[in-house]
Amino acid sequence: MIERSQKDVWRITPWVMIALLLSNFVLMAFDAKTSSQERVIRTWTQVAADFVQSPVTSVSSAASNYFQSLVTLRSAQSENDVLKQRVQELEVELQNRESLSVENARLNSLLELKKQSNYKLLPAQIIGRDPSVWFDTLIINRGSLDGVKLNMPIIDNGGVVGRVTAVSPLTAQIWLITKDKMSEGGIIGELNTSNALGVLTGTGRTETLEMGYVPGSVEVQVGETVYTSGQEGIYPAGLRIGEIVEVRSGSATTAHRIFIKPSANFSSMQEVAVLLYEPPPRPAYDKTLPNAVKTDKGTNKKSSK
Amino acid sequence: MEQVKITVALIIAILLQWTLRNVAEPFAYIDFPLIIVIYAAFGQNSIRALFYGTVAGILIDALSGGLLGANGFCKTLIAYIVSEIVRRVYLDNLLLRIPVIAGACLLDDTVYYGMHLLFGQEPTGQFVTTIAYSLIGTTVAGTTIYLILDSFFVENTKKRRREIFAARRQTRRRNPIRLGSRK
Repeated sequence: MIERSQKDVWRITPWVMIALLLSNFVLMAFDAKTSSQERVIRTWTQVAADFVQSPVTSVSSAASNYFQSLVTLRSAQSENDVLKQRVQELEVELQNRESLSVENARLNSLLELKKQSNYKLLPAQIIGRDPSVWFDTLIINRGSLDGVKLNMPIIDNGGVVGRVTAVSPLTAQIWLITKDKMSEGGIIGELNTSNALGVLTGTGRTETLEMGYVPGSVEVQVGETVYTSGQEGIYPAGLRIGEIVEVRSGSATTAHRIFIKPSANFSSMQEVAVLLYEPPPRPAYDKTLPNAVKTDKGTNKKSSK
Repeated sequence: MEQVKITVALIIAILLQWTLRNVAEPFAYIDFPLIIVIYAAFGQNSIRALFYGTVAGILIDALSGGLLGANGFCKTLIAYIVSEIVRRVYLDNLLLRIPVIAGACLLDDTVYYGMHLLFGQEPTGQFVTTIAYSLIGTTVAGTTIYLILDSFFVENTKKRRREIFAARRQTRRRNPIRLGSRK
């Protein structure tokens, strides 16, 4: 190994610094340009990190559960007396409900026939969060080996959480719907009562989403639920996004500004589900249109006519 | 040996950065790799500190939603600036290191944010709030970690002190009063 004098080190340092800064800059430019599918470094670092993140998550959640149970134990005695009395009341109520549940089961089975669900749910545990404080992505313990693919929607029992942006064999990275610029996956939401459409964007805060482009002439109420419309080709239609908490009314010529509280519980989320949903293929371009993409060699002549 | 110790410290810092946010959200405001990169820059081999900055940054970026290389860029720049300061100012005192950590954290976050704006990918976090919390978290954690690291690197610190202050001790021995009393 070459031993350098201190003077040599000081002389070389600026050049090394410039070379490293340039290489980092090129890497950034390349990363900003490439699509999610080509992020090889990310994918394999996620695989390596999974071996660290999974055990740490298991240990921390076990410790958290243990302390939680200790806290709960303190109030257990008084709760026990109340619950004994409640059990007796419920036994009487249960007998009444049994007849209702039979009827309910029968109606449910009829309803199931009507449902045409073309996707399955894959439960996943959140094993990591974004190491940089500037972003808020999640890492889950399901990857391509489990059937997870890019842009698959992520939901929890409340509603839409986000979508998959990078997949490794064992893990996947998720961008939350609250992220500022969902440039590749902006959600087109649908209002419950009026069926008016609008584009949802994050505000950078976990408790608010903003819905724009809803015509000012449409009547919008606070408390109204917003669902996915399925038009952006990522999320299936009918998933619950959230509830309207504030409306800044527009006019006949300007759109409403609608603020939505997401239904998903972002603050204490430990488990989510991957919706194994692949959107239907988009129809081919109509090549006769004047602004059609004219790159296909075989159809170029036809479209130019 | 020093190189191995700092490398181990850097690996631990990266692992902590990968995992601690999942344990508790406030840990996200502590930039562990930055603390170790600055510590490496306090040493005599600034080239090594630059490489530590690049590698640590890229590994953090790989698991982040940000641009790959943005953290590498910032941390390399910080390593260079700190090593240049160390060339000119004696920084073995922990109290003097505190403003260096704070300034480095501030610059790191500002450059990181700026690089994302440059490439049209605005980060999710609020600029002022995130920087303020990050500054507090990283400075407090950095000061504590340096106390621990200094106990591991005590030999190097002593050696460096001997090298720096050797000349001054020699001049003291040539005390004119003492010379005069010999006569």
